Amino acid sequence: MDAFFAGLTAVADPQILFLVFAGTVLGVVVGALPGISGSTTTALLLPLTIAMTPNAAIAFLGSIYCAANFGGSITAILINTPGDPSASATAFDGYPLAKRGEAGRALGMSAVASAIGGIFSVIVLIIFAPVLARLAYQFGPPEYFALALFGLSMVAAVGGDSPVKNLMAAASGVLIATVGLDLTTGVERFAFGMPALSDGIGFIPVLIGLFAIAELLERASQRGVVQEYIKLNAVKLPTLADFRKCAKAISVSSVIGTFIGILPALGATTAALICYNETKRWSKHKEEFGKGAIEGVAGPEAANNAAVGGAMVPTLALGIPGSTTTAIILAGLLVQGVRPGPHLFNEQPTLLYVVFGSMLVANLLYLILGLGAAKIFARIALIPEAFLWPAVFILSVVGAYAPNQAMEDVVIMLLFGVVGFLFRRYGFSPAPLIMGLVLGKMVEETLKQSLLIFDQDWTLFFARPVVVTLFLITAAGLLAPSLYRAWRRLRRVQAGNGV
Amino acid sequence: MRRTDVVVAGVALCGCAIAFGLTYRFDTMPAAMVSGLGAEVFPRLVIGVIAFLAVLAAFGIGNPPMETPAPVPRMVWMTAAVLFAFVGAVALIGMWPAAIVFLVGLGLLWGERSVWKLSASALVLCAALYGLFVRVLGGNFPKGLIANLWS
Repeated sequence: MDAFFAGLTAVADPQILFLVFAGTVLGVVVGALPGISGSTTTALLLPLTIAMTPNAAIAFLGSIYCAANFGGSITAILINTPGDPSASATAFDGYPLAKRGEAGRALGMSAVASAIGGIFSVIVLIIFAPVLARLAYQFGPPEYFALALFGLSMVAAVGGDSPVKNLMAAASGVLIATVGLDLTTGVERFAFGMPALSDGIGFIPVLIGLFAIAELLERASQRGVVQEYIKLNAVKLPTLADFRKCAKAISVSSVIGTFIGILPALGATTAALICYNETKRWSKHKEEFGKGAIEGVAGPEAANNAAVGGAMVPTLALGIPGSTTTAIILAGLLVQGVRPGPHLFNEQPTLLYVVFGSMLVANLLYLILGLGAAKIFARIALIPEAFLWPAVFILSVVGAYAPNQAMEDVVIMLLFGVVGFLFRRYGFSPAPLIMGLVLGKMVEETLKQSLLIFDQDWTLFFARPVVVTLFLITAAGLLAPSLYRAWRRLRRVQAGNGV
Repeated sequence: MRRTDVVVAGVALCGCAIAFGLTYRFDTMPAAMVSGLGAEVFPRLVIGVIAFLAVLAAFGIGNPPMETPAPVPRMVWMTAAVLFAFVGAVALIGMWPAAIVFLVGLGLLWGERSVWKLSASALVLCAALYGLFVRVLGGNFPKGLIANLWS
């Protein structure tokens, strides 16, 4: 409790409060820009945090993460182009509502549902992160190795329906993490004698390249697509009738969204899509969905913001990212020399409670901003791409260069930008690669430490119940989609034969 | 087997072969000094996993079959060329002049007709970034060959 109040005191610090405000405004503004997702925003602004203290950095990044999801809904509703992938489900009903002249109602509901989902998930984070950390405190290297493998296996479910390609991307990330000096032997790996690579490939140029530069190239391939912009007459609070209609959708989606967020690697986009379907399933007005159902806005918006707090639970308690953006935040903390995990709860409790406090404040701030200034934020979507994307590139260059003052990092960023572009083109998602890159060192270190403990006897992994349980869950997670598909095929064949 | 899947898997396998070959170029440690896994074991393990997954991908196992993507539009090639040219321009004329030229140049390439608007926005952005990263955070950006020769 003392640490909680210490955290609130830290958030009350004018400097931190300013950063939370700045992070929230930047999150909403950049989240509203089509193509620039919360992950891209966080990656782009990560270099700014290097000059900050860890407390200030996490408050800033946490606020951006909270606000970007809401920002994404503005363009989803107004121009049918989600500013953030997590707002894609919001567009299904938000855009038809806007076309009907009810953009203000949709945006108002989006702001309120987002804030309720976000605040609920932060409360869950405050309660469950310490519990999970206490459980994990007993974990040794073998358990962490199994946990990291579990986290990596979960990426199979992220970013489309290509589990094998996702796993390939994750493994590539792990391989990239091996570049540089091997800490146990001091041997240089894949560095080609280049001093810039001796310390390994930096997170920041890779992150900026994979998200911002790849998106820029993607945008270059879509030049000439004209977007229809709908006028926003007024932002009004949802009526009491709207609240009554959406209360169930918001509460159910907040719970499901938080739970999905807690699962490693599954983030806000998955939560929003699942909750859109669930909201429709539970609704008494199913026929309105797709044509402008207000519940169709409330459900996914509550879910994608609830997933934010949920995703922070494994990130802080275990050091396993709950989503792509938390992987970037985790990378930011690693750059600061902070390694999240159960020990943080004893060693740096204030930092954790700064996260809780700043996320709570950010959720309240974007509610106020959303209701009061959505009209202004909506204008951001009108910035011509010929101005926006070159500016994003210069921001990317400055961001990649600034931490080490090295042009090599800019070249690495560009190369990963091309890799990211090719990834998307050939059905790979960049998110698993980031997961692999962030977790790679942990996988290798814990494997080596485990084998030292076991005196190089690999079979002893199976003598530890937690490890065996995690291995079984990992195997089930990897095989379940294939087994489910095979079962469905069998059912279809049986149905065809009249069995 | 779809052609695109086979090509993707082929590229991945070639990458794996090259990376695997590179692991033989790691410095070797005297056996007495190595306790546990050597520096090359873990990367080889990961390369093996990628190669196995690439073979699965080639046979379309675990992935939906993929259509051949449309050719990369010319604008993407031109944009990518401009991005890489920017790195050369930084080495020659320095970060901030190169940034202004780039912002105007790419803006024109992407269809904006008003050079004045592009120039004004480029100046404002570069001034803001210069103020934040150089004046406030004390960063030191490349001045370029020409400025270095001049001074």
